[in-house]
Amino acid sequence: MSKPFMHFNNLTMSFTTRKETVTAVCDFDLKVDKGQVVSLVGASGCGKTTVLNAAAGFLLPTTGEVLLEGEKITAIEPRCGMVFQSYALFPWLTVKDNVAFGLKMKGLSRKQRHLEAQKYIELVGLKAFANAYPSELSGGMCQRVAICRALANKTDVLLCDEPFAALDAMTRQVMQQELLSIVQKSQQTVLFITHSIDEALIISDTIVVMSARPGRVKTMIDVKLPRPRDVNVQLTKDYIDLKKSIWDMVEEEVRSSLKLTKRAGMGQD
Amino acid sequence: MGRKELDLWSASVLGALGILIFLGMWELLTRTNIIDMFFLPPPSQVVQRAWNMTVNDGVLLVDIRMSAMRVLIGFLLSVIVGIPIGLVMGMNPYIRAMINPIISIIRPLPALSWIPLSMLWLGIDEQQKYAIVFMGCFASIVVYTTDATLRVDPLLQRAARNLGASRLQVLLHVTLPGALPDILSGLKVVLAIAWTCVISAEMVGANSGLGFRIWTAKEWSDTSQVLVGMICISLTVLLLDILFRFIEKFLLPWQSKD
Repeated sequence: MSKPFMHFNNLTMSFTTRKETVTAVCDFDLKVDKGQVVSLVGASGCGKTTVLNAAAGFLLPTTGEVLLEGEKITAIEPRCGMVFQSYALFPWLTVKDNVAFGLKMKGLSRKQRHLEAQKYIELVGLKAFANAYPSELSGGMCQRVAICRALANKTDVLLCDEPFAALDAMTRQVMQQELLSIVQKSQQTVLFITHSIDEALIISDTIVVMSARPGRVKTMIDVKLPRPRDVNVQLTKDYIDLKKSIWDMVEEEVRSSLKLTKRAGMGQD
Repeated sequence: MGRKELDLWSASVLGALGILIFLGMWELLTRTNIIDMFFLPPPSQVVQRAWNMTVNDGVLLVDIRMSAMRVLIGFLLSVIVGIPIGLVMGMNPYIRAMINPIISIIRPLPALSWIPLSMLWLGIDEQQKYAIVFMGCFASIVVYTTDATLRVDPLLQRAARNLGASRLQVLLHVTLPGALPDILSGLKVVLAIAWTCVISAEMVGANSGLGFRIWTAKEWSDTSQVLVGMICISLTVLLLDILFRFIEKFLLPWQSKD
């Protein structure tokens, strides 16, 4: 068997607060192939974000490991580019300089990095806004810049933490399609967190349903629906059946998570 | 109903009108001897006095220049020392915990209270003026910078690390520019404090400067010269404020485009 591109090898993540030790993720095991789009869905507080943070190297595992091309991630890993829900663009930099930020950190000359940034800005159709500041852009545009910024940094894996949750429903659909086209062009591997089963069904090759806390892989579903998964596909029986079965699984976890939080008297993560 | 906003033109006209009415009343009240001219000379006399001091003996311009230089040098010194300390304090909780008490002790001291010690140590030289301004500004600049640094969104620092920035690069390319707007608005407040420091220092011991000029005029009961000095302080501070706004616009082009 060949080595998987990315491997969460029995990942367990615990956090010690003053009062207690909370295990957010327990024995999370997942293999991701190169170029795959994998979504993580589950009740809130089930440790989805913790898994992404472990992949980015922001948090280190309590036990287990995250392997990227066979190498263990032990520090912040620029090869895993994060796309945040709130964009996290640098407000004092223009679109062009935001996209070129990672290249600047690598020491590329101004001319080189702008040339490189320009390519990605054109890829997402923001050429006219290259010199605009983030405050002048809409939410959808900001998120495109954020995706560009990760891609321009030559990431191998795009980690998306509910990137479209702050967008309105229509912009969201357009962005899903755009993400897919960008991903196809650049051969990215994507790990995508979402609360929306529809979103997961539209973009994913594989959907991972996580159990309530402590989070582990409850089920993995390979989505074999034809692409692009436009409105026509979304009305087929296959799509609706799949959605129903995923919802049943998630619902069960949401209910047990609600019980859990009620008993512990605490909110979500 | 929304709040009514005037356009710039009508606001300026009304502002000028307000000043004219104020000056007119003042002139009238003094000319008619309702207010004794000895205590408060009419504006026309003050203007004439200012003209004499500027054109005839040129002493006023020298005073303004002296005071402004003292403010600027003392202020720049405290910026050069204060901002790095504030940044480090903002980023490192251990250093913050260590330095905070010292700053808290220095900060409430009025600049005036440093005058006796500074005169004993430095005489009434220029250095003593710089020292007064420095002591008046330094602690505030540290506090403003620390707060500004702490207010930078940690998500941005995270994003930068994720994009491959080292800790030093995060400081230079994220924390510093992110804190800059708050640092600059703090500096604007501190610049006004710096003026208070210089004027007080000049009143107590100096041979030149606006504070010195006002104080000597008082010795001679020369109320118009006192008023000329006061107006000059006001105008210089206003001018510096406008200058500061230009600097702000230049350093923060992304903020003016809202």
